[in-house]
Amino acid sequence: MLVVRVLGTIGILLVLSIIVFSMLHLAPGDIVKNLLGNRPSSPDAVAAIRAQYHLDQPLYMQYLIWLGNTLTGDFGQSIRLQDSVANVIGARLGITAALSGLSFLIALVVAIPLGVMSAVRSGSWIDRFATGFGIVGLSAPTFAVGLLLLYVFAFYVPIFPVYGAGDGGLDTLWHLVLPAITLALGLGAIILKLTRTAMLRELESDYVTFGRARGLPDRQVHLIALRNAAIPIVTGASLVLTFLVGGTVLAETTFALPGLGTLLQGSVLFKDIAVVQALTLLVAVTIATIALLADLAYIFLDPRIRAREGSQ
Amino acid sequence: MTSTEAIVLAKLPRSRRRHPIVVWASIALLAIVTVLAIFGNLIAPDATAQSILDSLLPPGSPGHLLGTDELGRDVLALTIAGAASALVGPVCVALGSMLLGILLGTVSGYLRGPVDFIIGRWTDLLFSLPLLLAAIVVAGIFGAGYWMTVLLLILLFSPSDIRIVRAGVMEQAARPFVEAAQMLSLSKARIMFTQVLPNVWSLIITNSMLNVAFALVAFSSLSFLGVGVAPGTADWGRQLTDGRAIMIDNPAAILVPALLIIGVASAANLVGDWLGQNLTRTGRS
Amino acid sequence: MTHAHVEVAGLTIEGPAGVVVAPFDFAIGRGETLALIGESGSGKTLSAKAIAGLLPSGFSARGSIALTTATIELPATDAIWRATRGRRISLLLQDPFTSLSPVHRCGTQIAMTIDAASDRRLSRSECADLVTQRLAEVNLPSDVARAYPHELSGGMRQRVAIAAALATDPELLIADEPTTALDASNQGEILDLLRRLQQARGMAALLISHDLGMVRGRAEHVLVMRHGEIVERGDTSSVLTAPSHPYTRALIEADPSLTDRSAAVERAASDASMLNDLVVATHVTKSFGDKAVLHGVSVAVGRGETVGIVGESGSGKTTIARCIAGLERESSGEIVFDGVVLAPGRASRTPKQMQIVFQDPYSSLNPMISVGRSLKLALRVAGRPASDLNSLLRLVELPVEFAVKRPAELSGGQRQRVAIARALAVQPQLLICDESVSALDVSVQKQILDLLAKLRVDLGLSILFISHDLAVVRQLADRVYVLRNGEVVESGDCHDVLNAPTHPYTQTLVAASIHEAPTH
Repeated sequence: MLVVRVLGTIGILLVLSIIVFSMLHLAPGDIVKNLLGNRPSSPDAVAAIRAQYHLDQPLYMQYLIWLGNTLTGDFGQSIRLQDSVANVIGARLGITAALSGLSFLIALVVAIPLGVMSAVRSGSWIDRFATGFGIVGLSAPTFAVGLLLLYVFAFYVPIFPVYGAGDGGLDTLWHLVLPAITLALGLGAIILKLTRTAMLRELESDYVTFGRARGLPDRQVHLIALRNAAIPIVTGASLVLTFLVGGTVLAETTFALPGLGTLLQGSVLFKDIAVVQALTLLVAVTIATIALLADLAYIFLDPRIRAREGSQ
Repeated sequence: MTSTEAIVLAKLPRSRRRHPIVVWASIALLAIVTVLAIFGNLIAPDATAQSILDSLLPPGSPGHLLGTDELGRDVLALTIAGAASALVGPVCVALGSMLLGILLGTVSGYLRGPVDFIIGRWTDLLFSLPLLLAAIVVAGIFGAGYWMTVLLLILLFSPSDIRIVRAGVMEQAARPFVEAAQMLSLSKARIMFTQVLPNVWSLIITNSMLNVAFALVAFSSLSFLGVGVAPGTADWGRQLTDGRAIMIDNPAAILVPALLIIGVASAANLVGDWLGQNLTRTGRS
Repeated sequence: MTHAHVEVAGLTIEGPAGVVVAPFDFAIGRGETLALIGESGSGKTLSAKAIAGLLPSGFSARGSIALTTATIELPATDAIWRATRGRRISLLLQDPFTSLSPVHRCGTQIAMTIDAASDRRLSRSECADLVTQRLAEVNLPSDVARAYPHELSGGMRQRVAIAAALATDPELLIADEPTTALDASNQGEILDLLRRLQQARGMAALLISHDLGMVRGRAEHVLVMRHGEIVERGDTSSVLTAPSHPYTRALIEADPSLTDRSAAVERAASDASMLNDLVVATHVTKSFGDKAVLHGVSVAVGRGETVGIVGESGSGKTTIARCIAGLERESSGEIVFDGVVLAPGRASRTPKQMQIVFQDPYSSLNPMISVGRSLKLALRVAGRPASDLNSLLRLVELPVEFAVKRPAELSGGQRQRVAIARALAVQPQLLICDESVSALDVSVQKQILDLLAKLRVDLGLSILFISHDLAVVRQLADRVYVLRNGEVVESGDCHDVLNAPTHPYTQTLVAASIHEAPTH
């Protein structure tokens, strides 16, 4: 079962790599021109490009060479930034990781207790507030929220910086607060909805009634329910991640942060294909890995599945 | 369907009376935007007309209730004209994805076997792509226009519809009334479309309403990033990109479209949830 | 009863649509059991939840509960219930498969209860010792503490639940249908265990059940509840031997030890035995994946004959019926209908050969389609005119106005009549009834069985009747097959098999259904 799951992940990644590779050939316009970008198309430059990308070889060879290079960390050159793709990505990875981590932390700390409370006091004002928050959070596009926050904090409550990434360390963290809150709204809404729905379902189950019927304190009953609800919440990680990937691009663009999101946006608009390919693959691998880890967590959290896995 | 998806897509397990006023307000907002989307060009015929003389007027200026942007376009007229772009695309995406969902989901859920396997792997693949990222990359690299973007989003939205219809069909197909129809030796197609599908409609309609909300978010995000919509088009996402620079001179240029996007998407989401709770209750015995 | 241990006075329950349980009183003496009997929807479970303070939202209770240590006036606050539940009143639920948390070890779940009832913090080893002790009380070894619920059988899980429910030493234990979810062979053991524990502790118990026979010898007093009202009360033995209310009599009549087939069926049976076989299934096997469900089952139904197949859940009785109907494909074996060999699956069968009536009346009709449309569809398949609709409805004793109704507007019994009408619309030779009355209340069950008995005489139908309930089979069948683990263990004339079973398993089944008093 687990082996099948891993093989399935590898299969999907291979299919995706083919799609990503074909991007180069499917993009409108001449490949060489696309790869040259703004550089002058002298015969020497053209020849260099053809050699570098093995354009004389049959297509499947080109793919295999590209895949080989990619697997060894050679993603090619960024025509827009005139640097190796690995360097370009490496320079921006930190800020995106910090932004994602911070927003995830905010979302988690707010959404899980709120989701539990709103399920436990279903129908109360706190539940109504949480549900409303959830709907708006799920519906509001990250950039729209970002711009509203930006407007409020730029003019009315100028306590947070609104543009750029600051100059490292604590200052950067300070600059990340607003973008992280923006991103956390959508993330939190997803986690809130997962938690609330899972908790409501668990709270209606017989073992909760039986727990109360034999006099367990409320807190303990809620903990038992949360432990059971953890299974669907954790497996929701891939959904959260999918949102995070899109959301990061929007949040970084809104707040002009030099992270991977703005890199992707810029590269897409400039048709800097090597960078787009590398970023797309990076995201695909990250998502596949996290989804796999979420499945492992599932096995860890549910003794019934653990038993089934163990017996095979 | 995995348990997580089931939870995210699930209607809440108990009937919860949402404040009807909020639902009515949402329906009213959607109705107004629909009217604007259809008759917008009659109300605001000169939405993209530029006037350098009138550039960057603040809200409340004579003749320009919400002011103008730096090209001198009237923000109110632009916003009204943008309703069409905001609604037409998402509705088409929801309808197209619904159609794919009904066709592939019913076939997959009722016939099972190899057809189900192939469709299942296809939805797995599409599901593993982060929707917005895939749309940005494909629309951006291939320079897709508005309608190409609609097609692309239909493709990316369809897995959720396929899975929902499939799960609904499988749930219904295992019920005795379907077996009773088999005992009458009715054809598979007839059982599928006359016995099973009517019981899945409520799920389909609910999910389509939610799809409208998420497609609006996706569309406006794409145009905010500069893909999908040609520059100069009246579009709320585009207005936000352009308005960022003139936030100080005319805040209405970003506040109005931003609040509209959030409001319309929330309203569609809320109505979808509400439909889900009420339709599923009447659809089942 | 000399001194009451528990006295409940004026217990009334109101729901969103008004009063659902009318005021009633009862008292339970020290070390005594009171049985509350009623069918689903009678209000017995709501009464249990009201006494434990666990009514679902929308319901409220009035009245008072007097225990030796406290008196609770309903409705009570959460704080009062927190002090009451567990230490004074504990509630045991019906389904051991859902009443324990699947991700916590059994020992932990018992320990939590011990901890909640204890006035001081217990050390780990103290707690472990107490858990072992509690498990021993319910005859479970101490290593069950390390097991997760899914690793235990249903009977063992219910024992763990009992240990957890009693870990607080409550004055009153309410047991809500504690054995309904278990197989017949486990039911007696669990009830006797409860009885023994309750007597040993001098605890009062309220036993809630739908099965009057079940409480024979296991309760001092009985209350019979119907539609939220107490219709009969008294000593268990006098209620069982001399019931005063017609409803109680109907419940007792459903007990297989007292009833037999109706005269009409008897008449038809004498003709049936002379005719040749309509359907013969020989050495049918069926596996789902690795799991073999049928190991070479052979059954036959003669023309005009009614054949019963009985067995517990998992015996394969439904699978053999579905193989004959073509809804499952048998792995091997031969099914001959009217002299013609049928290939596995529906494709080789025609609607006129056989029809099936399913168990659950709530899902056997399409909720989106009116009764009339469903029936007309079936008539059209048989080539009959739509005008036959009215006679069809009359055949199953339904008013013709029902044609325009949706299934949601009908009661369970009415739906099952519609399902029978749909099956009969194509004039099948064989009618398969797959637990067709098990989801219905006893009184409705009787009506449907009478209808089937009448139809088989009037239409000369052959019926294959699948049921776990010996009482039901006894009322209708000429011959019977007893299935266990996918094999026929005994077969023959219904009367002979059920009155003088030869196979030990049939003997257990018959014994369990007659509910003999436990021997001490």
